[in-house]
Amino acid sequence: MQPGDEDLVALARNGDHRAFEELVERHKQKAYRIAFDFARDREEAKDLSQEAFLRAYTHLGNFDGRSSFYTWFYRILVNVCLDYKRRKKRTFAEEFNETIENQVEPSQVSQKPPSPDQQVLAGQLSRKVGIALEALPPKQRTAFILKNNQGLSIKEIAEMMQTAEGTVKVHLHRAVTALRQTLAEFA
Amino acid sequence: MAQHDKSAAVACRQFEEDLVLYYYGELGGGERTAVDDHVRGCEPCRFYLKELESILPLTVKPDEPPQAFWDDYSREMRRKLADTSERKSWWQSLASFFQPWAIPVSATAAVAILALTLTLGKGFWAPKDVPQDDEAFMEILPAAENLEFFKTMEVLDAMDFLEDMGSPVKGSV
Repeated sequence: MQPGDEDLVALARNGDHRAFEELVERHKQKAYRIAFDFARDREEAKDLSQEAFLRAYTHLGNFDGRSSFYTWFYRILVNVCLDYKRRKKRTFAEEFNETIENQVEPSQVSQKPPSPDQQVLAGQLSRKVGIALEALPPKQRTAFILKNNQGLSIKEIAEMMQTAEGTVKVHLHRAVTALRQTLAEFA
Repeated sequence: MAQHDKSAAVACRQFEEDLVLYYYGELGGGERTAVDDHVRGCEPCRFYLKELESILPLTVKPDEPPQAFWDDYSREMRRKLADTSERKSWWQSLASFFQPWAIPVSATAAVAILALTLTLGKGFWAPKDVPQDDEAFMEILPAAENLEFFKTMEVLDAMDFLEDMGSPVKGSV
């Protein structure tokens, strides 16, 4: 039987590095995807998620077990992502364009190359989505990403954001309203 | 992509938030049924819901890194964790010195050492070679006081002698 996250946390707190490495292995993909939704860049998403793991590792003593390791860790991750966004000087549109350039892989290229019109439209949409997400206040963006992209429940998001479920619903509704207005032309 | 209307659809105000939650499957039985009933008879709300269904998936950017990426990820993470735990142990040993209980204990020990040094070291630190004149003076002082005493006694003796000389001879008339 595999040890639970909390068992691994207990082992890691007693100096067992391998226990924490196991936690990384369990959560790295989900952590990376959340970071990618914020950064929209592969390398930055990797750095941000790794930074969150390191912060969790150095602050394991603060984990009191009141919430699950999962909730505690993803709270750290979201904070790391929001801090990064605050620090970042470049515009979201620039980042997004770079992402598109960097992320085209043979496996993802469709059999038929997109027509120039489709490329223009895809470029416009990407830019608009990036700008619209960037323009959202941090709490709205967090609620939206965790719900829309990660499929977390309102309850989980509320725990992660340490707020009431009603507040998360309001953030989500406002985020969707703002995005709809920006992206209505692509509907 | 449909190009019917470039502006966002307008839903009934009292249902707007519920429609978003409905889209995400976050409404319970009763609320869900109420939205279902309303949407069936309300075209703007129906249109709003369709718009959510077409717009919101566009905001998700899929990313499927290859296996090599995940291998690198794990390798880098192990290295970073090793570096961090090395730094952590160094820092912890330093931090353990500054434990909450260590500060008052250290302060008390320092005060005690200072007090002992001042008390026991007083003689040690005091200047040993007192100037000769002072030493002589300290020795002379009690002798001088005795001399004054003896001088007083001599004066008293002399006065007794004069008194005896001036008085009539005992037995002569």
